[in-house]
Amino acid sequence: MPRIVREADVVWEGTVARGEGRLTAASSGAFALPFGLASRVGEPEGKTSPEELLAAAHASCFTMSLGSELARAGTPPERLDVRCTITMDEVAGRGHLIVASALDARGVVPGADQAAFEAAAAAAHEGCPFSALIGASATVTVTATLEAGEGGGPA
Amino acid sequence: MTERTAEVTWQGSLTEGSGRIERVGSGAFGPLDVTWASRAEEPAGRTSPEELIAAAHASCFSMALSNALAQAGTPAKRLSTTATVTFVPGTGITRVALTVRGTVPGLDEASFREKAEGAKVGCPVSKALAAVPEITLDAALA
Repeated sequence: MPRIVREADVVWEGTVARGEGRLTAASSGAFALPFGLASRVGEPEGKTSPEELLAAAHASCFTMSLGSELARAGTPPERLDVRCTITMDEVAGRGHLIVASALDARGVVPGADQAAFEAAAAAAHEGCPFSALIGASATVTVTATLEAGEGGGPA
Repeated sequence: MTERTAEVTWQGSLTEGSGRIERVGSGAFGPLDVTWASRAEEPAGRTSPEELIAAAHASCFSMALSNALAQAGTPAKRLSTTATVTFVPGTGITRVALTVRGTVPGLDEASFREKAEGAKVGCPVSKALAAVPEITLDAALA
């Protein structure tokens, strides 16, 4: 298989308490963002953080995996809506750790019932490389709820 | 305890469908398009889970290193970090390479490398990615 490489650049100036970082998506150029300590551990105040970027990575990885599982089952999704919440906590003796990643998936999937959607979500969790990585040191949870499409209730 | 959220939507199958990072809790970015093609082939201006992990790791490492340098009494004037994530479809993330160049008044090369090594081991994202087979570090004073 091909090796895929993606890069990000950060420039940090000053101390951690008072300094500020600038983050650039070097491969795609899709974003350039400021970040800092106060907005990482306190209120975000419009700034991203490593944990928010992990949430975006996990949500997008899992969502692609779920789309793939549903297509494989013959029921490609009309729409998936996935929210990922990453929790960082201070653990006695081990410092700050990412302790949890919670995935909440909702989907409009013609031809699939709730049980099939849950099974696809479980398979997507198994197949998403990021679920495996973060699951090695944090608790990953998945909830899956089928929603009514524009055409009416779930099939 | 700190919580951060992101919301992604997807329409259609993996290879032919398309997704969007609709919003993040801070409001700092989004919507950003993501597709399988831009993840596995050329980015074409679109981000991917691997680029976001690179961004998470580079930012976390930089903050941890800045903190360690300040605690040692030699705060950094400037740190420039690149994280490069290698992804093999079907296998997963096989490698993260961190490269940092620092401007740190009063610090020698060996001490800088030692602090950088500590940040690589200790930052929360490094700990979360501990299952990656290979995490490398290239640290030097600018």
